[in-house]
Amino acid sequence: MTATLLTSDLVLSVAEEVFAALVDGEEGKLTPWIGAPMPFAEPVVAWVDLAGDWSGRAVLLTERSTADDLARALLCLDPAEDLGDEDLVDAFGEIANVVGGNIKSIVATNGDLGLPHVATTIPDASGTIIEEVLLSWRGRLMIVRVLHLP
Amino acid sequence: MRVLIADDSRVMRQIVIRTLRQAGYDWWDITEAADGAAALGIVRSDPPDLVLSDWNMPEMTGIELLRAINAEGHDVPLGFVTSEGSPEMRALADTEGALFLIAKPFTAESFRDAIEPVLA
Repeated sequence: MTATLLTSDLVLSVAEEVFAALVDGEEGKLTPWIGAPMPFAEPVVAWVDLAGDWSGRAVLLTERSTADDLARALLCLDPAEDLGDEDLVDAFGEIANVVGGNIKSIVATNGDLGLPHVATTIPDASGTIIEEVLLSWRGRLMIVRVLHLP
Repeated sequence: MRVLIADDSRVMRQIVIRTLRQAGYDWWDITEAADGAAALGIVRSDPPDLVLSDWNMPEMTGIELLRAINAEGHDVPLGFVTSEGSPEMRALADTEGALFLIAKPFTAESFRDAIEPVLA
């Protein structure tokens, strides 16, 4: 399969499986976002690059407070427990890593998956967005974006 | 059963340990390594009964770790727990002698399905 056959349904399916298995322990907590997206006040972005016979990038974008709760869910922490920046970067980056790895399995047969990166600004957007899926995780906006890089 | 988990993500190592417990392997004695090079050091100094390794790690990848274990003659089996599960990667893992490849996201059931046959 090539990236041209990657569909929003496939991206949604990958994200749903990742969140159900690793984050929530059950299906149904991640659903399509209904309505117009709201701008992020304090965005956090995580991405992994795919290099090989198809070069691209898988990106996760959300609000900082949502990423914090995502990390707490992964670590089985209570909502009120302190969360260090290191844990946030590790957890949110690992979700991007698993989503990206599964997307790579769909779009490419050869090549490498890079290590995850986490930042507060979207990385250089020189690529072309081929799919963007707006999701609601426990009612909060989460964007999964797949880019084709030159 | 002494098991070494190699993954550069501390969060993922915790999730792997949690899932192993859910799968019924709560009796395993777990050691952790943050990359392949650290895992190889533990294999050299205090060989475990099994290594569960991520594929993409800094310093030394999982496949490089497996090749080093084999090249140095350590009798330590290794299974991958990795975010990629393409047929090509499964074939490479098999060629290099990995016991299995568990793709992330995983469940306790997928751990049991991969591990039970090699414990038998």
